[in-house]
Amino acid sequence: MKQNSTLLHLENVWKIYKMGEVEVPALRGVTVNIKKGDFVVIIGASGSGKSTMMNLIGCLDMPSKGTIILKNQDISKLSESDLATLRGSTIGFIFQQYNLIPSISAFENVMLPLEFLEVDEKKAIERTKKILDIVGLSDKSHHLPTQLSGGQQQRVSIARSLVGNPEIILADEPTGALDSVTGRQILDMLHKLWKEEGKTIIMVTHDLKLAKYAHTRIELQDGKILSINQKSEVG
Amino acid sequence: MKLRKCLKHAFEMVVHSKLRSWLTILGIVIGVASVIAIMSIGSGMQESMNDQLGGLGGDILTLSAGFSRSSRMFGGGGPPGEGSSSSQATDEDDEPVLDKTDVQALRAIPDIEAIDTQISGTVDVSYLGKKGSVKLTGVDQKSWSRITTSEIKEGRMLDSADQNVVVIGEKLAESFFDKPVGLNQMITIEENVFRVVGILDDDGNGIYMPIQMAYQVLDDKENGVYDSIVIKIKNEDELEQVMNKTEEKLMLVRHVTEKTKDFSLSSSKLMEATRSEMMSSMSNFLVAIAAVSLIVGAVGIANTMFTSVLEKTKEIGIMKAIGARNKDILSIFLLNAGLIGLVGGFIGIILGIVMSALLPALMGETGMLRGGTFVAVNSIALALSASVLIGIVSGVVPAYQASKLKPVDALRYE
Ligand SMILES: Nc1ncnc2c1ncn2[C@@H]1O[C@H](COP(=O)(O)OP(=O)(O)OP(=O)(O)O)[C@@H](O)[C@H]1O
Ligand SMILES: [Mg+2]
Repeated sequence: MKQNSTLLHLENVWKIYKMGEVEVPALRGVTVNIKKGDFVVIIGASGSGKSTMMNLIGCLDMPSKGTIILKNQDISKLSESDLATLRGSTIGFIFQQYNLIPSISAFENVMLPLEFLEVDEKKAIERTKKILDIVGLSDKSHHLPTQLSGGQQQRVSIARSLVGNPEIILADEPTGALDSVTGRQILDMLHKLWKEEGKTIIMVTHDLKLAKYAHTRIELQDGKILSINQKSEVG
Repeated sequence: MKLRKCLKHAFEMVVHSKLRSWLTILGIVIGVASVIAIMSIGSGMQESMNDQLGGLGGDILTLSAGFSRSSRMFGGGGPPGEGSSSSQATDEDDEPVLDKTDVQALRAIPDIEAIDTQISGTVDVSYLGKKGSVKLTGVDQKSWSRITTSEIKEGRMLDSADQNVVVIGEKLAESFFDKPVGLNQMITIEENVFRVVGILDDDGNGIYMPIQMAYQVLDDKENGVYDSIVIKIKNEDELEQVMNKTEEKLMLVRHVTEKTKDFSLSSSKLMEATRSEMMSSMSNFLVAIAAVSLIVGAVGIANTMFTSVLEKTKEIGIMKAIGARNKDILSIFLLNAGLIGLVGGFIGIILGIVMSALLPALMGETGMLRGGTFVAVNSIALALSASVLIGIVSGVVPAYQASKLKPVDALRYE
């Protein structure tokens, strides 16, 4: 019931990095269709192109060849500022290294996307408080990132990715820097978001144990899709 | 992002900035402080100059005998009430002198309102056993009181019927001798006794007496020969025309040409105006030098901004990933640069004010700064807006660079 319309479509997507004379093909003709409400896990060996694919999906980079359709829009045809707004309103990023701004508090970090979206300040503060409450960090909201543990920082970054109420959450090895218990907590949190809020989640992981959370499993090898597995029943 | 929010983030960047940013701010501080200090010294000089100019009287000309053409520029610089100190007229025939022929010639000029013939010299003066030597000026008591720009502080000016009386300067009266000289006290000048009838409000220690008495006291002066003639003209606005007219007339009666001219006619006001013009161009020059240090400060800001963009590359990537547009990044970095300028300008102004308050004391009682320094409100406003502008201008390129960073490249930056 969650998998209805296509949210994201990659059609024969290539990404070739140019390093001087040398060309490094990181993605070689990837075609994939991701539906709204899916929980996608991308696995593959190191260097297989997982992060490259995530960057393209997140509109942080442009493909060398092929098209990416996000919410019925060809992203290569959007202006810089439209792309930024699309990122801010539709996509929430969770990074392996948390990527919080070190000079501002957890609260301000979480509120930042709303400021870029020019949300009314009162509403933004309310929303930020609510989200911090959801990730269980209300009491730490005025700490600087460096005053938080890794797991707490990742929760702040989850809160930041959720605050704009995006449809898609992109997580590139969100548990990579965490111990397995904390990693499991973070995964549970994402799983809950998928189940209860109907978010589309796309996650890269090395940990095959975590891959069981996924509804769709995409395996990459040398920049190509090796396999796409879908569970028949939502788990 | 709204401008207010950009400002907030720019401000946070300044607050959390490292020592390097504060050193950059210091560069601006020094630039602004020196501009403010120099400008305030400049306007302080201007101010005291204007005070002097105001006291000189724009309608006064001083005529003295002598060949020196340059005397028109620099001679006879003292206030006209005291007459010319430079002319040393003697009774030798080959020396040009001023006498009643000149006075008559001047009387015939309708633009002249009053003429005061003067002689002066240094005399010994004593009061209650204390002796000293001061300048004595013999004046035409009928016109002197109308011409002099000095005001009377106590007593009265000289009167046409006066004989053995003097008017003395304030300093002479108050502090020259052991005891102050009061009105109607007797002072001894070159063995003659004179009664003080007036004390001037002029901070000087000169003595003024009727010219007929002065001829007796100053025995090297020949009767009927004047050291200088002070002229008051009717209309101040016509100073230069009257000056030319008077010169022509005098050349005629003295049978001299422009080349052989044996007198000089000077206006202290014009001279001081020239001097003050020189002063102001000098202080402009100093301001220009100080401005160079501002430019150095601007280069410092640009440098810091470039480093800061580099340092914040990853943060820029993060911000772009969570929805920042290029123009948001541009605004934040531009405002940051502007704020560095503003903070630097603000501290610089305070330092500049302190410096300009201390400078007169450091430079001692040099005449130039006797009037103190003067920090003009508009120079503060100017310095503040200039430093903000400098900050923004020097931040333009780095901020633009920051805004153009590709999100994926910026995020990968370590
Ligand atoms: N900016 C870049 N310039 C050149 N080559 C790049 C760049 N980014 C990635 N690559 C290359 O592209 C390939 C895929 O990289 P990518 O980061 O997508 O791998 P990954 O699957 O995320 O690996 P990991 O599991 O180690 O994170 C690699 O061979 C890498 O060397
Ligand atoms: Mg990767």
